[in-house]
Amino acid sequence: MLNALIVVFRESLEAMLVIGVLLAWIGRQPEPTALKRGLWLGVAAGIGLALALGFATFAAQSQLAGEALEKFQVGMVLFASGLIVQMVFWMHRHGRHMKQELEAQAGRAVGALGIGAVAALAVAREGAETVIFLYGLGLESGGDRVALLAAGLAGFALAAATGWLVARGARFLSFRALFAASEILLLVIASSLLTAGVDRMIGLDWLPPLLDPVWDSSALLDDGSTAGRLLADFAGYRARPSASLLLAAAAFWSFVAWRLGRTAKAAT
Amino acid sequence: MALWLGLGWAVEAAAQAASAEPLVFSIVIKDGRIAPARLEVPAGRKIKLAVKNEGPGPSEFENLSLRVEKVLAPGASSFLVIHPLKPGTYRFIDEFHPTTSEMLLIAK
Repeated sequence: MLNALIVVFRESLEAMLVIGVLLAWIGRQPEPTALKRGLWLGVAAGIGLALALGFATFAAQSQLAGEALEKFQVGMVLFASGLIVQMVFWMHRHGRHMKQELEAQAGRAVGALGIGAVAALAVAREGAETVIFLYGLGLESGGDRVALLAAGLAGFALAAATGWLVARGARFLSFRALFAASEILLLVIASSLLTAGVDRMIGLDWLPPLLDPVWDSSALLDDGSTAGRLLADFAGYRARPSASLLLAAAAFWSFVAWRLGRTAKAAT
Repeated sequence: MALWLGLGWAVEAAAQAASAEPLVFSIVIKDGRIAPARLEVPAGRKIKLAVKNEGPGPSEFENLSLRVEKVLAPGASSFLVIHPLKPGTYRFIDEFHPTTSEMLLIAK
């Protein structure tokens, strides 16, 4: 029962955090209505995609179909990661001039579309497993289904409350701090999506792990423990990372630092 | 950068030597239990786990330290490639049934 709560909480937390950060960010913009609509349309599209993915998983019985689905999911996480990074670059580039940018209709349309797409992918990725898990509860014989379903929904509500707290809590931050915090949070999520994609590709044997593991910090913080697990899902923490994973993470952060550094220089 | 490439090359060469065709082991998940409960595999060789979920519910076969995770609908089968392991015991569970399921993969 507690398990149902934890599984659903964990699966939906990341999407809720993304929504919370975007909501907080939107709230500080001069023209929030169009952006907000973009966000909720994206969430709705994401739920639709999560349902479709969940049922595709049930339909994919053969190894071949399973592999096709796996490829789609690898593509989806990598695309989501790239899109979030683009979104952060866009937010960063406009920074101080965001007001003028969003007062122009074209700027609003781009912003709403980007926010909607990021929300949709975040919801779809995490939501698919929640759909599978909750639907599966109905198939299992025995156990108290109603109680399990209630526990699952409680986990979902807890995750939503966390996202809401993030959005509300962000009100107490100064404009500049909110900007920096949302950029960092979104980048951390993007890097965790990238590491998830790399791990999947290693599991499909598309990528060699190279040296595996490079180190073992599981005595310090085990990614199998609850706290480590959350950090693993949300920030891409790995107690025993492979060299390929570290190379991908290093490439990601150097690219991001380089691009952000360049825009900072151009702005002064 | 040169260091990375050098490291990559050296390790790749070692991996090439170790990876012949992967050995395949079958695993069946049923009623929230994983069979076999204990699986011995050779250390230092690439292996492939062919996993079948016989239901009735879905399962999520995973081991966090090896960073493998596979969601399977009832009736579905799939595979996981495990790259050469150090000798040791690796615990797999079905995340959707963490209390009843356990499989110890022992690399020797």
